[in-house]
Amino acid sequence: MKTRPFILCLALLFLSSPLLADDDCDDPVAKWQPRENLRQKLEAEGWTVYRIKVDDGCYDVKGRLSGQYRAKASFAPASLTLMKLKLEREETNDENDADNSYGSQTWGVTPDTSESSAPRNGIVKGRPSVKVE
Amino acid sequence: MNKILVALGLATTLALPVFAQAREVTFTTELLNYGGDGAYLALYLTDTAGKYQGTLWVAGEKSKYYKHLSGWARIGGLNPAEYDGLTGASITSGRTLKITLDLDDALIDSGHEIRIDTAVEDMRDNRADVAVPLTSEGSGKAVTGRGYVRSFRYDF
Repeated sequence: MKTRPFILCLALLFLSSPLLADDDCDDPVAKWQPRENLRQKLEAEGWTVYRIKVDDGCYDVKGRLSGQYRAKASFAPASLTLMKLKLEREETNDENDADNSYGSQTWGVTPDTSESSAPRNGIVKGRPSVKVE
Repeated sequence: MNKILVALGLATTLALPVFAQAREVTFTTELLNYGGDGAYLALYLTDTAGKYQGTLWVAGEKSKYYKHLSGWARIGGLNPAEYDGLTGASITSGRTLKITLDLDDALIDSGHEIRIDTAVEDMRDNRADVAVPLTSEGSGKAVTGRGYVRSFRYDF
């Protein structure tokens, strides 16, 4: 009667262990690819890589993804497969800091003038009309 | 009848100088295919001595990078009151920025100079990429910049 829950717990324990171990990387060191390969792969995918370090047998990457998210990720060092990814949207009080890239806004779009105030510097009368071609 | 004519005359006399004070000027700035991120530009006016007179336009939305428009920033452009209402998106490589605005008539043919500072992330900042006098004679004539500006002209 009491053996059933025990067996169930044991079965769950055995089932969960491979899942828990999933985050670890156990690629043989001889097969590891250089960090530079991972950096190039990520940059081609739109990452800005800040640093790559080795942690628990994985390549741990800190960087920025699509210019909008702070990203932390783990990759298997041999296959460069993504093991873990954590994204955080950049949070700042300053709208200007929404991301740290110079020219990240949509190019070639005429800025919306509807909500802009008229210039106050005195030499320009009224809001200029602006076109990007 | 006479009163109406007098009122009309008075209104015209008062209104005319207001209209005469501003002239519509179009500034056309074409960028080179420099191959980097969007360029930040500051179009501004100086007098003959190079003293800052006012900002015409700043392309680039993040004010924290305005310091890279070094000529403009150094002589007075960094005060937000100077560029309030005069900013827009940065300009990508190879594109053309056209700005049309009403400019005080007294600034034309009076020794003023239009300057453009340019900056691109991880690339060189260009103080006075373009520097041309604002004259009736210069209207419609394209000049070449010494940085990211392929050509610049103003028309009125």
